Amino acid sequence: MSRILVAEDDPHILRLISMWLQREGHVVFEARNGLAARDLVRAEPVDILVSDINMPGMDGLALIESVIGEGCVRRGVIVLTNRWDHAEIRDRLADWGVTVLPKPFSPSRLSEVVESLAAGRPTTARMAPPPVSERGAC
Amino acid sequence: MSTQTSASTDQGLLRDLVGGLSVSGDGRTLSVGVVGSAAYASQPPGHCLDACLEGDPGAALMRGCEFLRGALRNAADVAQLCDGKCSKGFRAAAQVTSIAGSPATVVTVEGPLTGGPGRCSPVDLLGRLDDAARLVQRIGQMLEENAGFANEILQNYEQLNLIFDLTQQIANVTDVREIEKVLLERVARLLSSDAVCVVAAEGACRTYFAQPQPDGAVSRGPALNPAELAQAADFVRRTRHVRVAVVGGRQVIAAPLVRLDDKVEVVLADRSAGRGAFSAGDMMLIESVLAFGGQIISNTELHERMHRMLLEVTRALVAAIDKKDHYTSGHSERGGFLTRLTAQELGVPPAQQQTMEWAGLLHDVGKIGIPEEILCKPGKLTPEEWEVVKQHPRMGYEILQPIASLGVILDGVLYHHEYPDGSGYPEGLRGDQIPLVARIVHVVDTFDALTSTRAYRRAYSIERAIEIIRAEEGSRIDTEVAEAFFRALTRYRRENPADFAARFSIGSEKECENACA
Ligand SMILES: [Fe+2]
Repeated sequence: MSRILVAEDDPHILRLISMWLQREGHVVFEARNGLAARDLVRAEPVDILVSDINMPGMDGLALIESVIGEGCVRRGVIVLTNRWDHAEIRDRLADWGVTVLPKPFSPSRLSEVVESLAAGRPTTARMAPPPVSERGAC
Repeated sequence: MSTQTSASTDQGLLRDLVGGLSVSGDGRTLSVGVVGSAAYASQPPGHCLDACLEGDPGAALMRGCEFLRGALRNAADVAQLCDGKCSKGFRAAAQVTSIAGSPATVVTVEGPLTGGPGRCSPVDLLGRLDDAARLVQRIGQMLEENAGFANEILQNYEQLNLIFDLTQQIANVTDVREIEKVLLERVARLLSSDAVCVVAAEGACRTYFAQPQPDGAVSRGPALNPAELAQAADFVRRTRHVRVAVVGGRQVIAAPLVRLDDKVEVVLADRSAGRGAFSAGDMMLIESVLAFGGQIISNTELHERMHRMLLEVTRALVAAIDKKDHYTSGHSERGGFLTRLTAQELGVPPAQQQTMEWAGLLHDVGKIGIPEEILCKPGKLTPEEWEVVKQHPRMGYEILQPIASLGVILDGVLYHHEYPDGSGYPEGLRGDQIPLVARIVHVVDTFDALTSTRAYRRAYSIERAIEIIRAEEGSRIDTEVAEAFFRALTRYRRENPADFAARFSIGSEKECENACA
């Protein structure tokens, strides 16, 4: 069981992802934009962040950039993107060691990646920022 | 946690609902709760939380209250408690209803905010209870429907994703077998299947995917005996519907893969019983993915068939033209073959090799416009006759030119008698001005002419022909192309001696006898 934060501005997709992950036995927190998500992980760290890219206010890239160095996401970040998103975004995400899954997301693939991250195994992308103790407090 | 970030929205919904049903007024309060549900954590009424449960909604404290204990049991004895009084003197009522498909008990408690018995009519309380029970049940139904819709959407996402992935993977694959492999491997992975095989119309079974078993052995396809296999396959072939069965302790799913000409093959996937049965969702998944995959496979097969047919028609046509000049029988066929061989040696991409083969096949099509008495004249041509023969590249070009899709092929036809030194025809192009395809066809054409018997001479041996061509490298022959051709030819002769002998029955004189009779 992992603590997972889902950041997604589309309420239906958000609900769907969170429902799916809850069914898989995880504790899921929901945020409708980057700022809410950032405040939430700063208040209480999570194991995994699942984030959309395009969100009002603070987008997924800014969110990941701000939380990735703070150690508030212990195991890893998964990003859901449109298949036609720019290569440069994908490159940047790859540099951060973020796992990218295309939308519409494959539920089984999402579960696989979550399990891999939770177990500390590498996913398709390079992964896992150092554990929270090496990063300082959030 | 804020309303925007809730650990469980369904639970929050229930809490909001019972909160909203609770009312205050006239110095008294009526509070509503839901307890005893298998799916949701209990939400005791506000009165109970304040007066007896120290604010803790957990079941342990509730068991200390006779009323709530009865309600938690969901039992008939709740009825006895209806419209009764609880130990604290509050009027309390309970009713069994259902929420999200399982029973739960709705409870209402009524009394003044600060102790003492209230004075409100019993009808009020029970009416409230009925409303609350109905609402809770309705919400329960909605939650259940919601979960159903979510399942449906998740399943669709899975399928859509698979189809996107497949489309991407298959986009550049032109080989039917390869497409089939990609398709079935994905199906196997998605269905957590141990093995996937295809039963062809003829009954033979092709295994595409076999998961290594825990004991190290590799499954050789669904573990069915031939009779069971045939039975499952027959059902699917007849009905074209997916079928799920348990055979020999293993879960088996069988689905149709409709190929070209309405030929139905049956895809069988199995998994060990421990993995659980194939679900309705699995059935839908395999059906839609195979329908999509079957369409792609059929289209690819159709494309291959059309291509083969086109090639055969063209071969027949050029063979007929070759027949006009008895000395050049098989010339065009060999031209196509050798052009491809050379293009391959030169590292030309496969799609272009194909086009170049066409150019080799069609290069002399213009000879159809050359009078037979010139084409087949034994002995030397007069300068005038020679001028007529030299028209054949242009004539070929003009014949084929209306076929817009030929492109590079036209270059090969029009320029296959151009020489690097500029002394060729029809335009006297030089060196790199001559398209590569034309330079290849020219070398191949020259070789085939030298190794064929003509009215005025016997065929040269392959070695002699190579010597003759080498002597002209740089002037009438492109050196790089010619050397590539020799390499390719030598390798082909070494690796496929029988096929080589059949194609190049050098010096056969049978057709010399009555040439142009
Ligand atoms: Fe020619």
